[in-house]
Amino acid sequence: MTRLRRAGLAPERGPLAVAAEGAGGLRLVALDPEARALGLNPGEPLGRVRARIGVQLQVYPADPEADRDSLLRLCRWASAYAPLVVPFGPAEAADGLYIDVAGASHLRGGEANLVADLAARLARATIPARIALADTPGAAFALARHGGTDRIVVPPGGCAEALRGLPVEALRLDPDIAAGLRRLGLRRIEELDALPRGPLARRFGEALLLRLDQALGRRAEPLAPLTEAAKYAAARGFLDPIGRQSDIVRTARDLMAEIAPRLERDGLGACALRLALHRVDGAVRDLDLGLSRPERHPERVAALVSLRLDRLGSALDAGFGFETVALAVTVTGAMPARQMDLGSTMAGDGVGFLADALAQRLGRGLLRLEPRASHLPERADRGRAWVAKEDHGSLPAMGGGQMLALPPPSSGEGDPCVSRSRERGTRIPKGARPAGRAEPPSAPSLPSPGPLLGPRFPAEGGGKARTIASPWPDHLPPRPLVLFPRGEAALDVLATVPEGPPRRFRWRAQIHKVAHAEGPERIAAEWWREPGAERDYYRIECEAGHRLWLYRDGPHAPDRPAAWYVHGLFA
Amino acid sequence: MGLDPADETEGAIARADPRARLAALRARLAPPAGGRDLPPVLPLGVPDLDAHLPGGGLVLGPPHEIAPAEPVDAIAALGFALALGARHLARMSGEALIAAAPGQPLPYGHGLAGLGLDPARLLLLEAGSDAEVFRALEAALHARALTVLIGLLRDGMPLKPGRRLQLAAEGPAPPLLLILRPASAGLPNGSATRWRIAAAPAARDRFGTLDRPRWRARLERCRNGRGGDWLLEWDHAAHRLHLPEPLAGDAAAAGRSRA
Repeated sequence: MTRLRRAGLAPERGPLAVAAEGAGGLRLVALDPEARALGLNPGEPLGRVRARIGVQLQVYPADPEADRDSLLRLCRWASAYAPLVVPFGPAEAADGLYIDVAGASHLRGGEANLVADLAARLARATIPARIALADTPGAAFALARHGGTDRIVVPPGGCAEALRGLPVEALRLDPDIAAGLRRLGLRRIEELDALPRGPLARRFGEALLLRLDQALGRRAEPLAPLTEAAKYAAARGFLDPIGRQSDIVRTARDLMAEIAPRLERDGLGACALRLALHRVDGAVRDLDLGLSRPERHPERVAALVSLRLDRLGSALDAGFGFETVALAVTVTGAMPARQMDLGSTMAGDGVGFLADALAQRLGRGLLRLEPRASHLPERADRGRAWVAKEDHGSLPAMGGGQMLALPPPSSGEGDPCVSRSRERGTRIPKGARPAGRAEPPSAPSLPSPGPLLGPRFPAEGGGKARTIASPWPDHLPPRPLVLFPRGEAALDVLATVPEGPPRRFRWRAQIHKVAHAEGPERIAAEWWREPGAERDYYRIECEAGHRLWLYRDGPHAPDRPAAWYVHGLFA
Repeated sequence: MGLDPADETEGAIARADPRARLAALRARLAPPAGGRDLPPVLPLGVPDLDAHLPGGGLVLGPPHEIAPAEPVDAIAALGFALALGARHLARMSGEALIAAAPGQPLPYGHGLAGLGLDPARLLLLEAGSDAEVFRALEAALHARALTVLIGLLRDGMPLKPGRRLQLAAEGPAPPLLLILRPASAGLPNGSATRWRIAAAPAARDRFGTLDRPRWRARLERCRNGRGGDWLLEWDHAAHRLHLPEPLAGDAAAAGRSRA
């Protein structure tokens, strides 16, 4: 609902509902406060509701995917508070998120200040939210959903006390279990907790006790983070938002200078970087930078960021500026320390940097021609993405290389490393979306070679032709300088001898008179791939001096006209 | 002048003879020997042709524009540019980059050997537009990592990118920069030379088969030099251009007589 209102799709006022296909027709999924005031509840059939209430109800179709996207964007925004942010899963109705603020709350001046700051920012972004901070995710969720007020901060160890009076539904139970408990007259968590555990487990299964223990902190509940925290990362916040390109580049350079000593200590270099720009209104823009070789030089990274920003131009949309800039190394590669000479660079070094620069600035990679084991001329070479040579540092393998983004330690009471782990559940009504316009996910900066190849290098049919490791064969008869992907038909062919070369022909709306012809060179089709006729190639020189490569498709047959094609041009 | 007693005597001698005086002034105004080198050039190996070019060859750094005489001569122009690149690559270490706008012909790997160019020393970039070609060439000039840069354009080079390339080329060890444009896209751009290339009947070997490609090259414009018109022959093994031997005769006529 908030997503619709923020996108300007729904009016600000009036009873509003979101409906989705359910059992027996459309059912309500989410309601705004005015609709709730009319006595409506989620899950009611839409038709009955329309008949019951007298006023007009505006109904919108549910879009779970868009809701999920909005929630993920909100999670990314919230990662400015702490690195471990987890969106609610299906058990929590997927309409909120956890932030593990253990060890991060002092950055915002304590837990109470952190909650107040979060609430103020969400309110500014017109996202209604209920926030609770407690020792365990379960308790935080229960308080956010069923607590008395919108802002709850439970002191350490006060979980059991705070949860006593809450209804059993707050424990994230299946509706069936919750209904069964209610039938037995167990309405509150304290009543449930007072009962012997054995009979409860027999009656309702292990899930009930698990949820109860998780809420009360007797059992650890690991959270799977949205993004793995990078091992090498740095971030900088700004009191005054920055918006100029030079400022962003300078910040990126400073951040890389912060990370570089750590990388150097471990003998690593960055193969891929992610620069996250947090805009004031909450949108996060990720820029992925790929490098051809491991790199840890701040100036180089800054140059690449600058080129990338050049290419984005106004598409970056700084808005009112960025308040946080974070740089993380997402892929690392081994980069042994090497002697740097004064004033000289290693051979191939510059090409690597040029390749990176072009990848950032144009989004295109360098190609190198490569021979292929095929007799068919059009299949005998292909463009292949340029890669740095091995001796300039090892590259990550094709599988993504050495992902050094380790998962953070699981938070929970059972983890001896964490003295006190506190979670905060933020409850957001259904359909809430975070601040900022919809931003497309930024594509990886190094595109795969596939879509790059134009018609000059058509997609290989299954890639059957092997790449030859050896250099280019030198025993071939002369080959044209430019080869067409397919032969272009030569029309009105006139030949003195039926099976010989043409005397004159028309090609590209011009008559060519043949002054000299050499051939034929017979090239058979690759019958193991697809059937085709063999071709007789001739080198032709026109009277105007142009040199062409012609072929006749199939051997000469008296009963059918010969088909001639121009396949290439000589210099 | 004249404050120094040594100068005073020198001046007295010079005052006697106006010629000597002029020579003395020239010597005084001349830059110190070796202080400023001439820009590096790529000599084409044809004395007649090199005499027309300032410094005795194609200046490395600023762009050289190559255009086909007619649209059908585009491949001949590409061949001429690649031949110049091959000549420079044979003399220097490093690699060549071809940045091509969409629709421009890219060379065929197996055909490069016919021009004496090693495909392993060639990098290709399929750019999305002329502007991207200019950006790529500029980045390559700044990186100073490549020996030969060739840009294949669709709409020609206007003055602004030409000037930008010129500025980016300034500095030590500049690469050879060639710009290929279509026949009908002549724009003022301040390039160092401007060539028009047309195909010509190839040279024959002694068995009468096609041997060395020939181009009719017209030097339309040349900064600090003279224009000219030559029939050039490319020897891919020696990486050099020749003027055809007068004894070889008219190749086209020879071909016609054979047929």
